[in-house]
Amino acid sequence: MNFFLIAGIIASQTLGENYKNRFFAIFIVFAAVLIYASLLVGVMAVDEEARVLVDSGLALMELIALAYALMAAAGTITREIETKTIYLVFSRPVPKPAYLLGKTAGLYLSCALMLAVMSLIHLSLMALRGFALPVFYFKAVVFIWFKLLIITSTAVFISLFSTSVISTVTITAILWTLGHFTQEAKFLIEKSSGAASWALKATAYFIPNFGLFNARDLGARAAGGPGPVFLFIYIFLWFIVPYLFSLLLFRKKEF
Amino acid sequence: MKKYLYPVLTALGACALLFAGPWAFKSYSAPFPPANLIKEVRAGAAEDALALTLGLRRLAADVWFVRLMQYYGTSELEMEFDSAEGARGHKAGPHYHGGVRCEGVHFGEGRYPEFLGYARHILALDPYFLNAGLYAAASLAFNLSRPEEAVSLVNWALIYAPKEWKYVRLLAAIGYSKAKNPAKVAQLIAPLLEEPDCPVMIRQLAAFLNKKAGNHAAAYAIYRSILGSTRDRLYIENAKKEMAKMEQKSKVESK
Repeated sequence: MNFFLIAGIIASQTLGENYKNRFFAIFIVFAAVLIYASLLVGVMAVDEEARVLVDSGLALMELIALAYALMAAAGTITREIETKTIYLVFSRPVPKPAYLLGKTAGLYLSCALMLAVMSLIHLSLMALRGFALPVFYFKAVVFIWFKLLIITSTAVFISLFSTSVISTVTITAILWTLGHFTQEAKFLIEKSSGAASWALKATAYFIPNFGLFNARDLGARAAGGPGPVFLFIYIFLWFIVPYLFSLLLFRKKEF
Repeated sequence: MKKYLYPVLTALGACALLFAGPWAFKSYSAPFPPANLIKEVRAGAAEDALALTLGLRRLAADVWFVRLMQYYGTSELEMEFDSAEGARGHKAGPHYHGGVRCEGVHFGEGRYPEFLGYARHILALDPYFLNAGLYAAASLAFNLSRPEEAVSLVNWALIYAPKEWKYVRLLAAIGYSKAKNPAKVAQLIAPLLEEPDCPVMIRQLAAFLNKKAGNHAAAYAIYRSILGSTRDRLYIENAKKEMAKMEQKSKVESK
């Protein structure tokens, strides 16, 4: 069977599993409650209610989708290994690269679905309050998804050598915070010297730069720096490199 | 040959990421003030650090704006009473609220020593929060009679929004207020009122200045615009009261 067809089947299977999983529903309900509760903060801001509602909604969407993505990515392959279902998969002519690609793509789709549902809830609340949609809203949501793509790929790779789901989630959560710390890292590098400066540079260079995709925080303003072509290449690299590293680890495993 | 395909591809991908990482880091410039310009207010350093590491500057600025309004919306007498734990007994004082006369006293007046700290903090987190900048600077200049602090705040805001004509107008209005020329101040801030999201405090101020300068028709129109532009009950009640007064006065004059 065609490589991409197999990957597609596994991706749709993973999406279905995630969608039917009770965690998905719990996260969505939790998000709905929190987004609804953000109305209260909005009311406290009186005439800035629309802005506060948009900002808190987008932030909550991102954090909840992140928590879900990390939990799902950390366990998606390891759970199949523990429950031995992976043996059933590889008893058929399924190439390991296609399996890994399908699993990762399924996670991406799950994140997209979760974001779409949360956006719908958020937009409904905005409409209910009679507020217009800010111009940057959809860009912010798409860029949140880009960030999730990067962190999900990394989490899948880490899960293959990490000892537990908790440690995978912890390591990727640290990467997430460091990735948002780019501007502050620049400041720290300027202020430091010698070995400390080199260590900071190395860390800053080789962790995903989430500042590039933080449209939620930038509002209608564009960050100075790389253009859309570079951003596309950057996302692609942060997908393909963890995927290839995961594959190297995965190929060594006997099923 | 196939044995080496994935390791070679992985090495190539890693090399590409090694080039892309530093490029992304060096070319990225977030349009925000560096972290060292965020001065701590009310022991909120940990909160600020959390906001920066999660890329939540906008939301943090929103939260601090709500806090500023709560701070400014609380009577200083109440604050003193709270801090003294009622040691000397609570004396019911006039209720204060940004620019609105309540119980015979101008609500926005007072010392509010931390006002500038709060305002600077908001703009250090998100220098593009225009309404917060306008609200804070106008309150400092016209309600709290601290035009020097207002000018310093607007100058700070102009560093990140140099083309923002609303700040420039406000700066000029502050200049004329020092020269005790209410008509000129009212004329300068008039264009700000055309903006649908103009802070209500500025509308209130414009109405007051027009009334003071004898432009009752303009003052009436601005009070009427307040009714449809804010959800703040105090401003709405005050606008209704002022409109009723003016209507009564014009009836008496016409008789």
